[in-house]
Amino acid sequence: MPDDPAGAGLGAIIKKRWRGWLRAIHRDFGYLAVGFTLIYALSGIAINHIKDWDPNFHSQERSLTIAPIPTDATDDAAVALVIAATGTGKPDDVFRAGDELRLGYSDGTNVTAIGDTGQVTVQARQPRFFLRIANWLHYNRGKKAWTYVADLYAVMLLYLAISGIFMIKGRLGLRWRGTILVGIGIAAPLAYVVLSGGPTANNARVADAPVAKPAEPAPAPPPPDDEFARPKPRVPPPAP
Amino acid sequence: MTDERQPDFDRYPELKKAWDRRQFIKSAVAGTAMMAVGGTLLRIAADDLSKKARAEKRKDGRERLPPGQRALEALRAMGGDEGDGDVRTFKLRVHGDVKTPFELDYAALLKLPQVTKEADVHCVTGWSLIGGQFKGVQIAMLAEKAGLKDGVRHVIFEAAHGYTANVPLKEATADTALVTYRLNGKPFDLSHGAPVRGLVPDLYFWKSAKWITGIRFVAKDEPGYWEVRGYNNHADPWKEERYA
Repeated sequence: MPDDPAGAGLGAIIKKRWRGWLRAIHRDFGYLAVGFTLIYALSGIAINHIKDWDPNFHSQERSLTIAPIPTDATDDAAVALVIAATGTGKPDDVFRAGDELRLGYSDGTNVTAIGDTGQVTVQARQPRFFLRIANWLHYNRGKKAWTYVADLYAVMLLYLAISGIFMIKGRLGLRWRGTILVGIGIAAPLAYVVLSGGPTANNARVADAPVAKPAEPAPAPPPPDDEFARPKPRVPPPAP
Repeated sequence: MTDERQPDFDRYPELKKAWDRRQFIKSAVAGTAMMAVGGTLLRIAADDLSKKARAEKRKDGRERLPPGQRALEALRAMGGDEGDGDVRTFKLRVHGDVKTPFELDYAALLKLPQVTKEADVHCVTGWSLIGGQFKGVQIAMLAEKAGLKDGVRHVIFEAAHGYTANVPLKEATADTALVTYRLNGKPFDLSHGAPVRGLVPDLYFWKSAKWITGIRFVAKDEPGYWEVRGYNNHADPWKEERYA
């Protein structure tokens, strides 16, 4: 008969049931993680490709050219000229400074007219459904309490990752399949770092590169232009 | 007709499920790989802008397109904590180690001597805009108006919600360094820093603070928002100074 039957019993229970508890907590953390994972994963993909698209807004911009607005035209007359061309209706806000006339609308649309060229730009944008909010949370722009919520989610992910290793025993667990897949998951980022040279690769590569020599002597700086000395006409500029 | 490579499922029905899964994974991997290769080839073949920019040289002898960059037709919105974009509330504070600090509203900014400069800008994420026509006020002019005290070596761009970017004085007062409010004859969209943003084209574009609120001249360097988050303190695109 054991000296400490209660202790031995607890040890036996833990030994027998630890995998079941691991699974139960893994399951419940998994449920909790669904909402967070949708937010972080989808916004992660969206933000990862930020150089190819705007993950936060649908933006619209159209340009048109009207006759130059006389500098002595009253604000009302100038506004009438612009809205007749844009068809945007009466603005909620009018601002005029320098050669610019800006019209603001309550839906966020902005119309800017450059008086002396007659170039009019209508800009509007709408937030993308779900992603605008998800990205805001992902970036943690608000800071404050979300920092701690995000920390808790990270701890949950750590638990899910580590407990997942031990949830199943046998060939489908660490004995065979599990070891191979865990190994791939660790090897992939390590291989990338090794093959790419890691964070300092660019610095080392550029330091080794030959220094470029000036192709020609630097010309005298061009005189600054002003409102009346515009740059020479060029090929049509790319749309922003 | 039966596939000879396929197991005899009538004899071994338990293999059916594993075989189906294997076929699915094979098809999925092959499909993904084809799409990735096709997309990459299409992107490389269609990238005439980059080819053209790469073939050109700057006056200082460097390639027009810095290494690791791809030329785009327009600025990309890279996010950030936006300002309100309102020309009515816009204020630009020029201060720090200067003899005459001052503040400008939008109308006052437009009354200062204006310049239009052609400039290329290079984002640290790998895209570049070539040949943009930026209109605004030279930072050198603002420095002259404020009167720098002896010892000023750096310029701190201040922007909405506490964003900052530090730039050496020499680069911040270069000919093409501006506070700019117009690109190619159009105002900036709010995503791109409206109404006014900084422009330091010879450094990575995060130095060209969007939604600018102030320019502070200082003697001692103060690493800014991205610089304290692992990005390079100087950010020269031709040296690929992307990270610290």
